[in-house]
Amino acid sequence: MRINVEYSTQHWIFPIITIGVLVILGVLLIALEGRARVKAGGSFFAKPGRFFAENYDKFKFWGCIVLMIVYFFFLDKLGFTFWSMICLYLFNTLFANKAQLKSAKYHVISVIISVVACLLISIVFGTLFAITLPSGLFTIEIPSLGFILY
Amino acid sequence: MPFAFGPEYLAVALFGVVIGIIFGAIPGMTATMAVAVFLPLTYAYSMEMALYLLLGLYVGGISGGLVPAILINIPGTPSSVCTTFDGHPMALKGQGERALKIGITSSFIGGMISLVVLALFTPVLAAWAIKFSAVEKFLIILFALTVIAALSRGQMLRGIWIGMLGVLIAMMNQFSVNNMYRMVPKFLESQMQSGFQLFPVLIGLFAVSEMLEQCETGMHASYSKDDTLEIKNDVKFNFFRDFKGQVINVIRSALLGTFMGILPGVGGSAASLIAYSQAKSWSKHPELLGTGVPEGLIASETSNNGLTGGALVPLLSLGIPGDSTTAVLIGAFMLQGIQVGPLFITNNPEIWNTVLVALLCCNILMYLVMFFPVKLLAKIILIPQERLYPVVLMMCTVGAYATLNGRMFDVWCLLVFGIVGLLIKKFHFPVSCFLIGFILGGDLEDYFIQVLTTYNGYLTGLFVRPMAWVIWALIILSVVYAVLDNRKAKRQAAEEAAAKK
Repeated sequence: MRINVEYSTQHWIFPIITIGVLVILGVLLIALEGRARVKAGGSFFAKPGRFFAENYDKFKFWGCIVLMIVYFFFLDKLGFTFWSMICLYLFNTLFANKAQLKSAKYHVISVIISVVACLLISIVFGTLFAITLPSGLFTIEIPSLGFILY
Repeated sequence: MPFAFGPEYLAVALFGVVIGIIFGAIPGMTATMAVAVFLPLTYAYSMEMALYLLLGLYVGGISGGLVPAILINIPGTPSSVCTTFDGHPMALKGQGERALKIGITSSFIGGMISLVVLALFTPVLAAWAIKFSAVEKFLIILFALTVIAALSRGQMLRGIWIGMLGVLIAMMNQFSVNNMYRMVPKFLESQMQSGFQLFPVLIGLFAVSEMLEQCETGMHASYSKDDTLEIKNDVKFNFFRDFKGQVINVIRSALLGTFMGILPGVGGSAASLIAYSQAKSWSKHPELLGTGVPEGLIASETSNNGLTGGALVPLLSLGIPGDSTTAVLIGAFMLQGIQVGPLFITNNPEIWNTVLVALLCCNILMYLVMFFPVKLLAKIILIPQERLYPVVLMMCTVGAYATLNGRMFDVWCLLVFGIVGLLIKKFHFPVSCFLIGFILGGDLEDYFIQVLTTYNGYLTGLFVRPMAWVIWALIILSVVYAVLDNRKAKRQAAEEAAAKK
């Protein structure tokens, strides 16, 4: 068996083979699992089961996804340190249970963790190790000292 | 025999071991996550220093899982599932400290035996693999993919399918030979020249998806003092009494763990399950296993730490990761511009020696850090997840952003692959197969195109070399094994279902 290797189209050779294998295996998977269900006395196609766990925490799950989107969206607009401090506090609040939400101590600790963790990450990674972090409106740069707080 | 060693290296290794133990001891957090989260810290390190840190995280992460397994009957990492079977009953009997010390000592011995295998086996395998042409390299990756499937018990087809999907996703980039894009939307072409980067994909699959899963269940997995057993010491740990008659169990379990580590894509959970079932089969009193006897605990913990050295063998000799954590280590080597594979030891003797010394130091440090302050270990479980996950997310974001020197695209990939990881788990596909497919996909294609070019497009090129025949035989063997084992697993599941009715 020969495959024609042409310069202009060779970038599709392996993806096409892989897609072919995926289709064949997919059909085989459906057929074999369907046959096993029929043998067990059920129907060929499985009834769609519950996607999320029963009584899943909608607020925390969707809240986490939305907060991540908002966090990532403004990260390179506002700067890493300032924006991460706010979002870290929001994540701590989002993940808290009802009793923790009412506790002032919980919120004070959340603020301390947010400020300390973000400053630490920013200084260790950004300043000490000179790793590029997202910069934005609130990035503080002192060129004469070679200091950047992203 | 040059290698990197000194107080600064030991300090970094100690930091890695302690953080790794904390990650391992908190249910829901894994060694893979620990290594991935701290990978960006190595951007500023030399390769040698990075190895001390990452291997410390790896050894600590795998070992830490025994703490909650024994004290709250919840494995901290998947690899300590079997530790719960005998470890927790021992803690219930007031032998918590003894169980922890047996587990820690077993982990240390397992790590040491796997280190010996790593030192002896890797150069041999690399020397063999150095003679490989593109044909053998292509086939060995194909073999790795079939082995993954063979060991996805009861999920063979699902394992192969999701692995192939990983291969396909790895090809969403600009093809290096003719600079043409494939499967990339026009508006993303400037971002996806080299495709999706390993780090955001990996951290998304393992850390973000885990965080989303925890959110789904309400982030309730934090534990209070009431949940953990007090570490009692009614029966004291005595090495000679507790390990008496266990020499064969220790060696068998460590070698099984190491061997399972060498096979690509096999996690510690499979290693400890197999070692535990073997310990039960060979035991003089199999009925006692599961009731709180050291034998089962030793088998589980020796094997899962045996995995650490084993998983490094294919990584360093063939460039194929043995498990998801060593897949992250590939990222560390890539960052330093070092190619892992058959030429790794020849081209980087100092780094190879450092791997061995670092692994030795990390195992010793793990033992010292866990064995003596054993009562402090219970406190790690009390660290609340709702405090830890947000910080982990920040660190992941830093790592993803810095992957290609500052791109928001890689940060968005975190979220995308977090959701992809969640979907893969929800539809009951093994995530590790997807990851291994993704990592090996690029090389698989490169070698295939090289074979076609060398043999004028004829696929018969895949059969002309004698070494290729050996690998073909291994591929066929693993597929046959997979089919038979898959049937057996399904028959067992059907019998269990019938028995329940």
